[in-house]
Amino acid sequence: MNDPHREAGATILAVARAPGRDDAQLLRRIGQGDENAMAEFYREHGRAVLAQVLLVTGERALAEEIVQDTMLAVWRGSGSFRGESSVRSWVIAIARHKTRDRLRGHRLRVVDDTFLADLPSTGPGPEVMALDRAELAEVTGAIRELAPPHREVLGLVFGGGVFGGGVFGGGVFGAGLSLPEVAAVLEIPVGTVKSRLTAARAALSKILNEKGQSR
Amino acid sequence: MNTDFPHLDLTDLIGAATGQDADNRVTAHLAGCADCRAEADRWNVVAAGVRGLVADTPEMRPLARPRRHMLADPRRRTTLAAGAAAALVVLGGAGYGATAALTGHAAAQDGTSDNAVLLTVVRGCAGLKMATGTLAAVNGDRLVIDTPGGRPVTVIVTPSAMVSISGASLSDITDGAPVTVMGARSGATLAADAVTVGQTKSLISNGGGQPTRGVTAKARPSQALPQPLVPDKADIVAGTVADAGAAGFTVVTSTGGRVQVTTSGGTLVTVMHGSVGELRVGATTIAAGYVEPNRTLSATAVLQPQPKKPFSGRSQGTVTVNGCSPTSIDNALTTAFAVGA
Repeated sequence: MNDPHREAGATILAVARAPGRDDAQLLRRIGQGDENAMAEFYREHGRAVLAQVLLVTGERALAEEIVQDTMLAVWRGSGSFRGESSVRSWVIAIARHKTRDRLRGHRLRVVDDTFLADLPSTGPGPEVMALDRAELAEVTGAIRELAPPHREVLGLVFGGGVFGGGVFGGGVFGAGLSLPEVAAVLEIPVGTVKSRLTAARAALSKILNEKGQSR
Repeated sequence: MNTDFPHLDLTDLIGAATGQDADNRVTAHLAGCADCRAEADRWNVVAAGVRGLVADTPEMRPLARPRRHMLADPRRRTTLAAGAAAALVVLGGAGYGATAALTGHAAAQDGTSDNAVLLTVVRGCAGLKMATGTLAAVNGDRLVIDTPGGRPVTVIVTPSAMVSISGASLSDITDGAPVTVMGARSGATLAADAVTVGQTKSLISNGGGQPTRGVTAKARPSQALPQPLVPDKADIVAGTVADAGAAGFTVVTSTGGRVQVTTSGGTLVTVMHGSVGELRVGATTIAAGYVEPNRTLSATAVLQPQPKKPFSGRSQGTVTVNGCSPTSIDNALTTAFAVGA
């Protein structure tokens, strides 16, 4: 997440993340009961968690409750971080579990990732071409209409960005994880992450195409 | 990349879209493979859409004090019951601080939302930011751009700002106008894919604005145009327009060479010295400039890309400028968003 190329080109809201931050050290301090470290952790990751959860749930109040649950879990369980993943993906995974707990009973429906297998691989069809014609506002609107698992995987992969700088204050938002990190968070193989991404894009294109035809 | 298959695989394309793995191999392949460029652009569109949504995440609120039973942890209960509560009070402060940082200028002026403003960093010029969205209103030198998610950004177009409008009419190509033409050469004639009216020297790969030999300069992806934007076998010529007519015009280069250019309905025309009044309300608009204390964006360059083909996902991607002058910034925006898009 400290990739300067990404930060330089990312959408911003407001202060870039401090370079060289040691998130693991931050967690160790949290484990020792350092409240300042917890506050720092919240500033650093809270909005990323909120962004991802909000993307999945679509409900702000619920998302904020889940963020609260997640931060409490971090306070209580910082010692469980074993350094096998980035802190960002670790906290996102916690948030995902908290989201699942909250949504238990109306479990996220996972779209069949294999239905695209028979699609021809050459030559973009009209639905794919819809992406070529799309305006940004149309794309964001269509993403909101995707199934939660599709929004989830897109948010995990592409959600990275920076908010901060100048008069706006800020930090890093969004997940923006690598494919292996996404696989770890979702507890699925990397290949399934890829197929889910492809399915998500196909669904997005379909929505855009339908909207384009209705205009 | 699967070496048994000539195209980039999904991992490469995703890496390119996220900026994580855009290594030389991927970059080189994208420069020479139109199919993969198209695929990468589509993923860029998806990525930009997601970032637009994520960037619109509301400010964090202070976390509520937890219920006691949530703190139950046999090993640490005695210390955590007080500690967690105290920490969450701290968190509340942090949340408040973050909110205050974003809304400190509560009396947001000029119609700009006092909430998060969607801006993108522009590389190569400290403090330069970019707003992308739909032009909602024009009032004198003041623009309102609706960013993804509906949040407006107020843009003040400075007197020295460059205003570029892509998708202009072929009639905007007039005798005496400086132009850069990109297209496919056939003999001594260039069939124009894109014509940029104005000062566009940075688009020429040799950096001098004129071909050094022959009538045209070959676009060199690694130096001038962003690689995904360089059409295969594209030629570029720069000079001054002469003999402008319905079917084309002649470019007179600085060395006196004359290149016959043919145009068609498919020729993309970009005017680099437009006026604010020519901007189209409702069109995708990109403004680059500096954030003022009153939270407006003081723009040094404004661009409207080609209608209905304006957005290739790069509007949320990296734009690099070669200088901080309005011309440099305008050239960079035009290169990134309009020419060849």
